[in-house]
Amino acid sequence: MKIICIIAAYNEEKKIANTLDDVKKYLDNIVVVDDGSRDNTVKVAREKGVTVIEHKINRGQGAALETGNTYALKHQADIVVHFDADGQFLAKEIKDIIKPIKAGYDVTFGSRFLDKKSQVPFTKRNIIMPLAKLINLVFFNVRTSDPQNGFRALNVKALETIKIENDRMAHCSEILAKTRKYKLKYKEIPVTVLYAEFGQKFNSGFKILSDLFVNKLTK
Amino acid sequence: MYQQIIAAIIIVFFIIRLVSLKRSKNLNTNEFVFWLIFWILAGIAVAFLKQIDQLVAKMGFSSSGINFLLYIAVIVLFYLIFRLRLRIFKLDKALTKLVRDIALNNKKD
Repeated sequence: MKIICIIAAYNEEKKIANTLDDVKKYLDNIVVVDDGSRDNTVKVAREKGVTVIEHKINRGQGAALETGNTYALKHQADIVVHFDADGQFLAKEIKDIIKPIKAGYDVTFGSRFLDKKSQVPFTKRNIIMPLAKLINLVFFNVRTSDPQNGFRALNVKALETIKIENDRMAHCSEILAKTRKYKLKYKEIPVTVLYAEFGQKFNSGFKILSDLFVNKLTK
Repeated sequence: MYQQIIAAIIIVFFIIRLVSLKRSKNLNTNEFVFWLIFWILAGIAVAFLKQIDQLVAKMGFSSSGINFLLYIAVIVLFYLIFRLRLRIFKLDKALTKLVRDIALNNKKD
């Protein structure tokens, strides 16, 4: 069974080496999609011996993940794992996210709210995430405990069905919505999210909403 | 009267500019026709400002014809911005596709 880990990276020269070292312990096939970084992300990733695909200009995380998905499909992947470059997720949990796919699910979503392992900041836990959940429920009829988690796994059926059209951060909601729309079998599993000074700010929520809205209009 | 003359001069200026852009092939036919109709309609509106005044009054609004034209102009502007945004969004998508194809073509192993 061929499992490919796709890591979208943008200006991550400081963190990507550690992330790649961690992921390599669990998976052999790693694809870094560099999204037009201005730093040495590509060089660092190449030195780690992983496959690197380069976007010539920055197009957003959603666009980078879709490039990775396309590559994975072309290279006969059975399962694709989406993982962040910034060390927010734990590589040892990759096996947990793959497990349901092997058991017959089409998509697995990581959730930081299913247990108490993640120290989610107060405003994120109590204001931003409940709002995002409400938006997902109202606009897409999607009910998940974590609406904006980038740690997920997809099988071939899901990869062929879900084409990410939102180039930027709205892709998380889009993947959830399309999973439901195409009646894919999905499961949420608890994952740990480590918080430092990264992640989305409050106003990025409005940007996500605006992207989703305009994307609907241009259909 | 003076306002109408100034407005007419501005409109004529834009129509001349439009024709010269078309002649130098810097404007495609669709855009040319769209803007030509736009400025002709603006010219008609300015020419019949008094009648518009009466029409607006008949419709029961207290505002004058020039205000009415201003409202219409704002609505048209909003619509044009909206169209522009959608166009940029589509261009954005095309750009992403191009960047993706180049990235994948460069990685053919």
